[in-house]
Amino acid sequence: MNRLIRTRLAVFTAVLLCAAPALAGTTDFPATPPAPGPAPTLSLPTPSSQTLANGLRVVSIRRDGLPLVTAELLLRRGIAMDPPGKAGLAKLTATLLTRGAAGRSAPQIAAAAEALGGSLDADADWDHSSVGITVTTPKLPAALALLAQVTLQPAFAPAELERARSQALDDLHLMLSQPTQLAILGAGRAVFGDGAYGHSPAGTAASLKAIGRDDVLRMHAAVYRPDDAVLILTGDVTPAQARALAEQSFGDWKRPQTPLAVAPAGMGKSQLPAVLVIDQPGAGQAGVVAAHAAPPRNDAGYYAGTVANAVLGDSYSARLNEEIRIKRGLSYGAFSVLDGRRGNGMWLAQAQTKNPSAAKVVDLMLGQFARLGQAPVPADELAARKATLIGSYGRSLETTAGLADRLGALATYNVDLAEIGRYIGRVQAVTAAQVQAYARAHLDITATHVVAVGDASKFGEALRNAHPDAVRLDAAALDLDRPSLGLGQAKGTGF
Amino acid sequence: MRMRRASWLASIPLLAAMAGTPLAAAELTVPPIPYHQRTLANGLEVLSIEDHASPTVAVQVWYHVGSKDDPRGRSGFAHLFEHLMFKSTAHMHAEQMDRLTEDVGGANNASTGDDVTNYFEVIPSNYLQTLLWAEAERLSNLNVDEKNFKSERAVVEEEYRQSVLANPYGKLFNAIDPHSFTVHPYKRPTIGSIADLEAASLENVIDFHRTFYRPDNATLIVAGDFDPKQLDAWVDLYFGWIPRPATPIPQVTVHEPARTADKRYTETSATAPLPALAMSWLIPPARDADTIPLQVAAALLSQGESSRLYQSLVYRAQVAQQAGAEVDARVGPGLFVAYAILASGHTPAEAEKLLRAEIGKLADEPIPAAELDKVKTQLLTSELKGRQTAQGKAFGLGQAALIEGDPARINSDLAALQRVSAADVQRVLKRYVTAAHSVTIDYLPQAKADGKHRGGAR
Repeated sequence: MNRLIRTRLAVFTAVLLCAAPALAGTTDFPATPPAPGPAPTLSLPTPSSQTLANGLRVVSIRRDGLPLVTAELLLRRGIAMDPPGKAGLAKLTATLLTRGAAGRSAPQIAAAAEALGGSLDADADWDHSSVGITVTTPKLPAALALLAQVTLQPAFAPAELERARSQALDDLHLMLSQPTQLAILGAGRAVFGDGAYGHSPAGTAASLKAIGRDDVLRMHAAVYRPDDAVLILTGDVTPAQARALAEQSFGDWKRPQTPLAVAPAGMGKSQLPAVLVIDQPGAGQAGVVAAHAAPPRNDAGYYAGTVANAVLGDSYSARLNEEIRIKRGLSYGAFSVLDGRRGNGMWLAQAQTKNPSAAKVVDLMLGQFARLGQAPVPADELAARKATLIGSYGRSLETTAGLADRLGALATYNVDLAEIGRYIGRVQAVTAAQVQAYARAHLDITATHVVAVGDASKFGEALRNAHPDAVRLDAAALDLDRPSLGLGQAKGTGF
Repeated sequence: MRMRRASWLASIPLLAAMAGTPLAAAELTVPPIPYHQRTLANGLEVLSIEDHASPTVAVQVWYHVGSKDDPRGRSGFAHLFEHLMFKSTAHMHAEQMDRLTEDVGGANNASTGDDVTNYFEVIPSNYLQTLLWAEAERLSNLNVDEKNFKSERAVVEEEYRQSVLANPYGKLFNAIDPHSFTVHPYKRPTIGSIADLEAASLENVIDFHRTFYRPDNATLIVAGDFDPKQLDAWVDLYFGWIPRPATPIPQVTVHEPARTADKRYTETSATAPLPALAMSWLIPPARDADTIPLQVAAALLSQGESSRLYQSLVYRAQVAQQAGAEVDARVGPGLFVAYAILASGHTPAEAEKLLRAEIGKLADEPIPAAELDKVKTQLLTSELKGRQTAQGKAFGLGQAALIEGDPARINSDLAALQRVSAADVQRVLKRYVTAAHSVTIDYLPQAKADGKHRGGAR
């Protein structure tokens, strides 16, 4: 805590003593809000999709007005491809793309990208990897040439691997010091067990040290190939320009003879108890996460799930934040994410709270999970949360980067890109009965995993009173490489 | 908590040299933002930007009150008050602002800085009239009760814990203002302290609203899909009646004296995995012509992986995992801040040596023209990105009007940016940084801080 304030302004004190002006007292000011006018319609963009001879798909949306374009090369494989014991490889491979390529050093590539006004952002997510940049229109050809160089001709120099490895290790320690981040990692293990979606995306201290240059080369060969790639261009660019620029930069990219890598199964067998406490002595707050296995992105109930999550925790006014923050002041924010991936997915709720309230927040979360399946969402609430979703969707399409994100999310899972124009109608069509059925099927609290990370001396007992099967693990004993997180193997487990 | 940095908007030509490509060489002109300005009889300033690109409208009300105006013994109060503006008024129940925004496809939020507090919404354009009414209502008729006051104060305390205690480097960044200013109320962190928040009362809320929330202390900004005549009529109807109080608006007039010596402090953290270091220097107010050259200097030092600090501390020496420099320009005196979060096995002293060396080199050795061009292109591109939405333009206008003191700055800053020379960068760096006195904070993980001589910088 910082110092208290002792000094203050004399002028301020004087004014506080003055009589208040009469602010109210008009007779004309209406006592109720004016009704809205007729609703405007949002015009949704139409994507254009083309395929080059080497299999590269080129997707674009034209948005003129400002001379800006977002260019992103998306590869349809990501973190899920990390081999056992090599957690963090997909992210490290993406990072290394820009650290030297086509005869240019890492500093030279950064300087080239930044002279164009943008920065090259390369990263991997569960089911895709990407490298992208946003620049003014005249810089686009040079930006695409750079994207092609780092994707096709990365050097993967040993010195850069070492540098990226030590940066990744420091980043990992930083992440593990944050209670909710650690709880999310624990929840991934709890839900997916030894499946491909269960490991630590940023790696572990042991796995990062085990990664060699050959691993990086193998990952690059498996993931970065034109017949599994999508070039996304959004902004001030026509479909014809998109195709010509794609040919110019990526036309020579050879399609490999080998078949596409098979994505490993995301779901495995869980080895963790329903309620896990990770003790982080001295933590400033507790991070509370409740997670559940969920259907894949391509599930027929995708929009029912989207609306169900909107009711549960996708916005300020959704139920989790209403119950945990607005009504009780227990957190700065409580939210949920429904993350449909390939084959399966995860539904995850999160909140940070002062240590002594962690057990209370767990029960409030589980209570909201149960409630969504128990009764249909009232019509007013359903309409409000659909409006929130649709409004947020419309705003996300206002920027070139937002458009590229939406297209990328569809292209990753091979969803028809025309869905971008159907979203509003699909959301509107979801009924309260569908939301309830979805929650009943996919939010069963007897199959929910709870992970609470924080100073367990302040909430462990309360949590165990409510959940006698809860198990405690010391953060220091945590082994993220094991599906059990080291429970039962290390000291400092149990209660 | 900080507000956005100054904007870089104006009309400038961008020369393209990409002949022979499908997007043939073309000269780009970034048009100025055409805004309209008027002031009501009660002192309310109204700024508007018509833009029909999307059927939405951004409504923002900026008040000239921030944490520098926190009452005595009530650090964090302006920010707590901001949260309470979403509670009940004479004609709205608690959270009705959410009903009028989120529930109809809009969004809302607010932020508190040292100098200003702003409330902002984006809504489908048919709700403009509704939101103008609602903003006028909470300006004139706030009516918070004890129960809502207490539950929202608990939320703000959780915000404090989340941003200061649970964030591994939160305590460091929260300590910069208290150590950087000696007498100016900027020395109090915007988020305050748990003890001061606990001491706040409902009576403080009523006093604060009466003192600072008045039409002559506010700027209404509307950007997006509206009809200008209709807007004027609605603004007159809902805001025009609100009386201008006869009392003067309290102003902070404290003069922060120039520093006479370098100072050094140590902060410790129970949760930070690695040490860090932050340094600050005093700079002039945001309206000063030297602000833009200082921003160019900060960008040369820290924007992107080709920047000097990244190349020196993170890439070559590998003593830091992150390094940065920024201009925190305010209505009053601001700060030039440089910082580093260390890589494993390194000490704040190593980072400090390199930070000072890079700043010194930038101040004293020739700056290549290509590097200066790079930074201007980066700043222009990020400004263009911000201008894609009505809300982005409204923020730019608010920043220009309230922090820089003139809405016209939204269009003149970018021209000023284009004129910045290497000599300007070196002149301002020498004047405010290398020839001035620094405040340095060593930030040490607690266990390692026990022995006085470990990890600390000289």
